[in-house]
Amino acid sequence: MKIEVLFPEICNLYGELGNISYLQKSCADIEVVETGLNDEPIFVSEVPDLIYMGTMTEKSQLLVIEKLNCCKERIVELIEDGANFLVTGNALEVFGKEIKDVDGVTAEGLGIFDITTSRDMMNRYNSLYLGEFSDGLQPDAGMMKIVGFKSQFTHSYWEDGAVQTPLFITERGPGLNPQIKGEGIRVNNFMATYVIGPLLVLNPLLAKHILRMCGAKKIDVAFEEAAMESYEARVREYSNPDTGFYY
Amino acid sequence: MSKLRFFIALWVAKIAIVALKITRHNGTNFPGVVALKICPQFLKYIGKPERIIAVTGTNGKTTVSNMVIDALSQDGKNVVNNRMGSNINTGIATSLIQNCGVMGKCREDMGLFEIDERSARRVFPYMIPEYLIVTNLSRDSIMRNGHPEYISDILTKYIPQSTKLILNADDMICSTVAPENSRVYFGIERMPGDLTECNNLINDFQICPECHNKLKYEYVRYSHIGKAYCPICGFKAPLYDYAGHDVDLGNMTIGIRGKEADVRYRLLNDSVYNIYNVVSAVALFLEMGYSHRQVQKFFENMSIVGSRYDEMKVGSYTVCRMLAKEKNAFASSRVFDYIAASKGKKEIILMNCCQGDAVHWSENTCWMYDCDFEFLKDDNIENIIVCGPRVKDYRLRLLLAGVPDCKISYTDDEFDTPEKLKLTGNSYIYVLYGTDSIDLGLKVAEKVVKMIRKKGGEGK
Repeated sequence: MKIEVLFPEICNLYGELGNISYLQKSCADIEVVETGLNDEPIFVSEVPDLIYMGTMTEKSQLLVIEKLNCCKERIVELIEDGANFLVTGNALEVFGKEIKDVDGVTAEGLGIFDITTSRDMMNRYNSLYLGEFSDGLQPDAGMMKIVGFKSQFTHSYWEDGAVQTPLFITERGPGLNPQIKGEGIRVNNFMATYVIGPLLVLNPLLAKHILRMCGAKKIDVAFEEAAMESYEARVREYSNPDTGFYY
Repeated sequence: MSKLRFFIALWVAKIAIVALKITRHNGTNFPGVVALKICPQFLKYIGKPERIIAVTGTNGKTTVSNMVIDALSQDGKNVVNNRMGSNINTGIATSLIQNCGVMGKCREDMGLFEIDERSARRVFPYMIPEYLIVTNLSRDSIMRNGHPEYISDILTKYIPQSTKLILNADDMICSTVAPENSRVYFGIERMPGDLTECNNLINDFQICPECHNKLKYEYVRYSHIGKAYCPICGFKAPLYDYAGHDVDLGNMTIGIRGKEADVRYRLLNDSVYNIYNVVSAVALFLEMGYSHRQVQKFFENMSIVGSRYDEMKVGSYTVCRMLAKEKNAFASSRVFDYIAASKGKKEIILMNCCQGDAVHWSENTCWMYDCDFEFLKDDNIENIIVCGPRVKDYRLRLLLAGVPDCKISYTDDEFDTPEKLKLTGNSYIYVLYGTDSIDLGLKVAEKVVKMIRKKGGEGK
């Protein structure tokens, strides 16, 4: 199993690489390939089992957009063909149409999805997150609870008339923006979300789903008992209406 | 109208100070809060000292500020400072209110202010420091500070043009702040134990700012702290104006080579981050015109304030209290590294869950996956006791770091942690607490000491 981690030297904020080390600790036969900013992504010439990209700084977003613009068509092709992507935090914004700062500066994104991002560097949005995810892979497909955090300067908005394809349905906390319940983007096996945690460590059931998607033979996660104990406690805590949700 | 509003704010704040004294509520920022509420531009109008020195940065600013205040006091200076209050605009306003007359004229000639790096935008428009030390810029609270590049941008935007900067050359995020300002750099030359590859989870300066290729380090101490260069385009970290060298932990001294001399100074603590703090303060004093001899004397009579670190021998045990800032992966990693590198058998009481968050919402624990808990899989660590509301998260993180479950003990209540100690004799007991659990850390450490004494001070 091969996981390509895009630009880990800059897309590594908020413990995000913990997502990949958790998968690695869970499954011994995972090979992680780290693609640097000046390297050619391996997804250009092959289809990794998972392509991952995590949170970065605002300046790094510009570098990443510039880099990925060269292989935008290939990314679209991979998404259409059902390649597995996991994109967390503000890496999601890179795939949208534009990132607009309140001071007027605008950066064009890859334009793969019909979202635009609004950024205000003087206001940071912090919240907990509780939502649901439908695991369509299993015959007894059910909804699993998703927990995590949001800590960002931005919100993203679907363009008028765009078909909204969220990754999670929000129970508490903001969706892609505070006005909607849908959180993240899900198109085929492309999954992007603002939720950080790291997402897979906080949500061992989702980590299992990812392993299953990637074709892992054994669907166990590392320290499953401890991970589930922490996950279940957090689901209870976040479901409690007395738990404050905003920082 | 603005000036009238200022005087009303000042007098109300002065009355508030008297009321707080009567009710024994000294040390709060309330007067500053009230003053800024009444007059948002209060800091513009309040009298300020002739000479202002400021200290900011992610870690070490309180320690460096305390060093500077102590030294200037030794030199007979009365220094207005915000040591007793907060380091944001309201705390600074409070300290100025306390040191001015009824017409708002400052009574002292000199001021030393610790400034929260995010508060730069609320303070610097109204206050022009002659010198500003930036100790370092690294990841801090995800919720407040985002990431260090964001903080660096704030400082660059708001630091007054005439302020001379004293910057850490070994921190490339810090050394590139406000590039137009006059500056000197401090740093520490290669030390035993330095690496050439970072072995920390956090490394926020990995690519060359010029060509975006991977940087290399002549030496790296931790995270992005070290001497960086680009092997492709030749980009280099700045040269030191004040170079720490030949650290002698046996005699607790360091050589510091300045512009005119190379002199040894007393160290106050053996941790690398505290050695940086000493070098930064020495650089400031020499820039201010003090002689090496005067500065040496300052350090001979100085110690690190007790809320950050202290230790106590009890029988065959040493009980160490250390600040491991809550939600701050960078600072906690330094503490874990320090403990792992220390000799002897160890037990750790880890109680740096954020107490405030536990009351109002639920702690954002992302920081745990930026933090090098991996240092704690050291063979000499016999027992790690985790406590507080995030016990289950700590357990999972420690397991993922490679700490065996049999070495992890848990309890919800911090006061139950001493009962979980193994106390096998001749060991170090570390009590790690956060900035909002300093008192709690003290009480738990006291309970540990009492328990050891009750057991006769020896092993079980």
